Amino acid sequence: MAVTDRHLVTAIVVTHDGETWLPAVVAALASQTRPADQIMAVDTASNDSSTKLIKAARIPLIAADRDCGFGDAVALAVAKMPKHIEGNSEWIWLIHDDCAPAPTALEKLLEAIDDRPQVAMVGPKLLGWHDRTHILEAGISIAGNGARWTGLEANEYDQGQHDGIHDVLSVSTAGALIRRDIFEELGGFDSNLSLFRDDIDFGWRARVAGHAVIATTSAVAHHAQASASERRSIDVNGAFLHRPLLLDRRNAAYVLLANSSWWMIPWLSIQLLASAMARSIGYLLAKLPGYAADELLAVATLIVKPAEIVKARKFRKTKRLVSARVISSYIPPRWSQIRLSAARVAETIRERVIPAAESTPGSAPNSLEDEDLLVPNQRFHISKLMKNPAIFGYLLLAIITLAQSRNRLGALNGGALAASPSGARDLWGLYFESWHQVGMGSSHASPAWIAVVALASTLLLGKTPLLITLFFLVAPLLMMWSAHTFLRKLSSNQFITIPASFLYALCPVALASLNSGRLATLIALIIAPQIPMVLSSWKQVELNSWRRIYGLSILLAVLTSFTLITTVVSLGVIGFAIVSDYDEKLEKPQFLARLYKRLTLLIFPFLLVAPYSFEALVRPARALAEPGLNLAGGPSALVLLGNPGGAGSLPWWSISPILLLLIIALFSSSHARIFAQVGISFLCVAVIFSSISITVHGNSSGTSTWVGTLLVGTTLASVAAGVVILDRLRTVLISSNIHYRHILAGLLLIITAIYSISSIGWSITAGADSPVQSNTKQVMPAFLTAEADTKTLVLREVGSEDSKSIQYYISRGEDISLGEPDVAPGQVREIEIAAQELIDGSGIGSSQVFSAYGIKYVFVKNPFNRNVIRTIDGLGGFARTSATSAGVVWRVTGVTGRIIFTTKDGTRSVLEAGEVGARTTVSGPGSITLTETFDRSWQILQNGYRLDRAKDEHSLPQFQVKEAGEISLLHDGTIRRAWLSLQLIAWTLAIILAAPAGRRKREISEKELA
Amino acid sequence: MKFKKPLLFIAALVASFLIASALTTVSKPSNYSESYPAVVCPPTLNGLTSQISISSRKTQYQRLENRSSKTLPFNVLRFPVSKDSLVITAEGTTPLIWQSRAGSWAGGTLCSGPSAAAWFVGGTANVTTRGRLMLINSGLSDAIVDIQSFTENAKQPIKSVNLKSKSYMQLSIDSLAPGDKALAVQVIPRSGRVNAYMIDEQGAGLKALGGDFVNSYPTAAKELVIPAIPNQLPKKGQTASTSHTLRILTPGDVNTTFTLEVLSADGSFVPVGLSSQSIEAGVVTEFSLAPKISASAFAVRITSAEPVVASISSSVTIGGHKDFVWSTATPPLTPMSIAVTGLSPLIAFAGDAIAVKVQAKLINGKTVTTVVKGSDIATWRVPANARSITILATSKEVFAGALIASSNGYGFIPIQNGSALTRVEIPNSNIRVLNP
Repeated sequence: MAVTDRHLVTAIVVTHDGETWLPAVVAALASQTRPADQIMAVDTASNDSSTKLIKAARIPLIAADRDCGFGDAVALAVAKMPKHIEGNSEWIWLIHDDCAPAPTALEKLLEAIDDRPQVAMVGPKLLGWHDRTHILEAGISIAGNGARWTGLEANEYDQGQHDGIHDVLSVSTAGALIRRDIFEELGGFDSNLSLFRDDIDFGWRARVAGHAVIATTSAVAHHAQASASERRSIDVNGAFLHRPLLLDRRNAAYVLLANSSWWMIPWLSIQLLASAMARSIGYLLAKLPGYAADELLAVATLIVKPAEIVKARKFRKTKRLVSARVISSYIPPRWSQIRLSAARVAETIRERVIPAAESTPGSAPNSLEDEDLLVPNQRFHISKLMKNPAIFGYLLLAIITLAQSRNRLGALNGGALAASPSGARDLWGLYFESWHQVGMGSSHASPAWIAVVALASTLLLGKTPLLITLFFLVAPLLMMWSAHTFLRKLSSNQFITIPASFLYALCPVALASLNSGRLATLIALIIAPQIPMVLSSWKQVELNSWRRIYGLSILLAVLTSFTLITTVVSLGVIGFAIVSDYDEKLEKPQFLARLYKRLTLLIFPFLLVAPYSFEALVRPARALAEPGLNLAGGPSALVLLGNPGGAGSLPWWSISPILLLLIIALFSSSHARIFAQVGISFLCVAVIFSSISITVHGNSSGTSTWVGTLLVGTTLASVAAGVVILDRLRTVLISSNIHYRHILAGLLLIITAIYSISSIGWSITAGADSPVQSNTKQVMPAFLTAEADTKTLVLREVGSEDSKSIQYYISRGEDISLGEPDVAPGQVREIEIAAQELIDGSGIGSSQVFSAYGIKYVFVKNPFNRNVIRTIDGLGGFARTSATSAGVVWRVTGVTGRIIFTTKDGTRSVLEAGEVGARTTVSGPGSITLTETFDRSWQILQNGYRLDRAKDEHSLPQFQVKEAGEISLLHDGTIRRAWLSLQLIAWTLAIILAAPAGRRKREISEKELA
Repeated sequence: MKFKKPLLFIAALVASFLIASALTTVSKPSNYSESYPAVVCPPTLNGLTSQISISSRKTQYQRLENRSSKTLPFNVLRFPVSKDSLVITAEGTTPLIWQSRAGSWAGGTLCSGPSAAAWFVGGTANVTTRGRLMLINSGLSDAIVDIQSFTENAKQPIKSVNLKSKSYMQLSIDSLAPGDKALAVQVIPRSGRVNAYMIDEQGAGLKALGGDFVNSYPTAAKELVIPAIPNQLPKKGQTASTSHTLRILTPGDVNTTFTLEVLSADGSFVPVGLSSQSIEAGVVTEFSLAPKISASAFAVRITSAEPVVASISSSVTIGGHKDFVWSTATPPLTPMSIAVTGLSPLIAFAGDAIAVKVQAKLINGKTVTTVVKGSDIATWRVPANARSITILATSKEVFAGALIASSNGYGFIPIQNGSALTRVEIPNSNIRVLNP
């Protein structure tokens, strides 16, 4: 075809191991409707048959070194071209060996520049190589963080939505048509950018030199992006370790730093570094440490060679004709980047949650059959909906839950549940702080569940009371859902699995936990059914992937953060499994493979909740404790029936079928037997533990252990065994004559029905008045909370009407809140004796003891034994300050406060005290007594020096002051911070190990790329 | 065996339950501290002499106004007190104080622990009275005490007094209701460790008309038993026997009727005019009582539709001079111990079926045990050389009082525990108290 235009076009094909795509590229060049006037090829020492293919196509070939970059290769070709004649419209058309232009590509490119003399560079619309409807680029730019910006969505389908001629910052060199004179004038491509981003750099330089760059979508080319998608190795100069990502990021930073204005460089540097770090974390999470390193190395390689940037900037300055500001309109705004990122994340989530339906062959035509069209649409009936057991079950449970929670529609407390703090910030504070102002103060490690609740509260805009209320409302539904996801693996019959899940949510443990505020047991009830789902095989644990093992470890860690009884159970179960493995006399590699995975499941969750878990090693009672107040569980006889007992539990007469089911299942020939064995094992441990008394969480008297968490295992095993038995029992019963199975099944159904009726009836009547209720009452009267951080000994008669007992604790002016009981210290013996003597009237010295420990007030909360009030009146050292309906308050006589300064002559005065630390002034030499529990982290600094610290006669921290001046009291939280840092690292590691791994681009199949 | 494994699991479950049952200790919901609170003896007022009977020489005491917590042993079994009120660590044996004004009167009362409230039915506020109400604060903090008086005319306004720590005060009882004759006083400590005692002493000009302690009773009740009322039989040639006056008050807002039944060795009967006798609420009423009884002591049982307080004043003659005795109601008898060194009281037990095992501990350390049985009333004279008497066991609803005669006068002492074993719950430290 004769060339009719005035342009002279030289196509330059650069090849580098491109035999895969080269035949198509050559064919595309040959089939152009407006052929190139001249075609040249530069081969950078390809290791494949690229050279042969070029030669076979009779294209003149220039040989270059293997480490020759794309820009250098083009420069070689341009150098071999005849000298440019002034006034000629001479163009070079850059063709990658993986870029096949459409037949009309060159024609359309030339059409676009015909009436645009200012254009120095024009590019086609790049579509995918495999998926030719996938638009890759129609002009490019660079974001402030170095990202290549196309303005397109991921995998965007080309429907012509971007068609037209666009003024752009640059276009890809794949298929780009560049005016030769300008190319030479600007010095060609920067030799520092051997691959990647050379196109943006050139476009940027062309722009500031006063030229235009456009993308015309009527011209189309198909690009395989072989280098970027790691389909071939990168051997260019400077691309050490053959890392395309490293080269891409380095070059992006280079382009930005070499071309931007001077005053933008600090800001750009920060952006580049921050985005590199953020991407590194992302790659680490995706377990791609190589990519993560590339991100950081890219920035580092530039920093170590600043001279390169300086030189590049100097060169660009000589070619600049217009202000660099002309570029700003082509740099994508931050908002666009955020919007696009958000859209990509949303799309990813959508794909995970609602995967695109696989179109099944034949389904569409079937639906369009004429017969179907003639059938009238069935109308929606609510009755139909109710016949769905799942909908009916969930709806019924929701109604029952609402009825039994009618007194829980507000901020909750009562039972084991302390009142929620007003915001998540308080919970975070409790978790991060090294010192807790509870009782006489403690440095106990806060349990990890506080962080879990704080995190959930934060997601709920910091509304902790709302979180707790909602949790108690939806917990039964979550239990039912969780149980159902597990039970439907055992039976496909919804008429069995839904009632079973429903009963699981209304089991004695669930009702008692809800009614008595047992957070850990509720979490266990929700999580427990998921554990057997995550771990597909326990016997042959080595068949589970490490990722699955770490996933389960995280699940167990969440559970362990609420109750360390998880560790006790794990220890038993895993210990038993290891012994069994040993008995099996397995091959050593197989034994070790199992051992490592089992030990990981034991140790990793324990480490993730350190240091709280470590403290339990020296205080074993903590392993049996639940979050919150230490309330007693029930007697072992009740536990044997699957009822944990204690406040808010079902009455004894509402007997659940748990034990009966387990015993029946023990004799089953199906795998219900396995569930029964597990359930009975849990029950045995629960029964024994229920007889143990523990003293934890600020309660000095022993209370019988709450074994609700263990009974979760029993209940779940029982329900699972029931589902397995019932699933096959129906057919057996139908096909056989009446025998003992019929009788047992009948007995089981009767007991289950009686239990269902009695438990539901009780829970919506008497159960609704259980200890956990929405409650706005306060223990501490307002006038005692007015004095900040003042210790008050609070005496109360606690318990039911017939079994009241006198109890006391030191308040810091406020009622306790969620998490504080878990870090509450035990009582000081001296205070215990003083309180006892206060009650029995023999405590002549009680006031001195209270005063020594900084207790300023004694508050007896009404109602209280009048004789005791009279006894306190009669004791010396207590001056009654008020007697209201709330109770009676005495002021402890003598000078007392949080920080007491005693001069050399023995005069005591109270110093100003802050929340934990304080900054105040002392008038002279003496001693400072801090009325807090002694802890090595307490320090007082004066003039930059630490004051000597010792224990006084009451074992309180005492500091010797040698001179007058300002002092600073602080509790050094370095150790706590170190633990928190380690915990953060451990959790990050666990999440990374459990998260799905990302794939290197070269690992993505061609099909997926398409 | 086919079912070996299932049976093993069931056996394990049963074993677990048995182990748990064995391990479970019977946990008490609360622990208690048991102690006898220190008792307080009334001070000795001007012109009086006092002697305190103690059961052991090692018994510790402290003078009320002593600020130190140090105590001293008595070293004697009968301790003369010149002025002070004493705080005694009696440890279960209630000391008894015997006061007298030479040639005028004598009377006794128990040294007792602090009380929540005390009714004194006795005394007069007219011109003849020299009576005193003594309020003692043995605590280390100041005390507030309300005094509510009732007379034959009306209920008087409440009088509140403040008592400094470790101090006592005496109020002339005529100041409570000046001019009124029949007095009943309720002492209600609002705060503090307070004891109250009342002495009713009367005289006309320089002539002493006798006196006695008016013992207290804690609350008004629908049934009261006054177990020991002296009944001096007329000597040869005399026709008149002892005169008795019942003073009764229903402190509520509703009028009531009461019936008085005399319990005596001659049988039990209701005197004429004292059956379903009505009394006005809030007004102290007196009734003369002159039962013809051959014994030297008798008891009365008062039953009423509304709670009442009551006592009986008996005129006696001793050593040629006149005296009177205030016999007050007592609570049902319980096992207890009272020090009686130097005294030989006649103890009267009243009740429908009396069976009381009583033991006297003699000064020489020996003990004498007696079982007193009877119905309506039974008496037992304590050996003269006894240092203490102990009620070892008693049948139900038996009431007891002691009558003591000395050269100076005649007195009544309720047989009750002045220092009851106090069972105080040991408080537990539990952060739960800070959760609403």
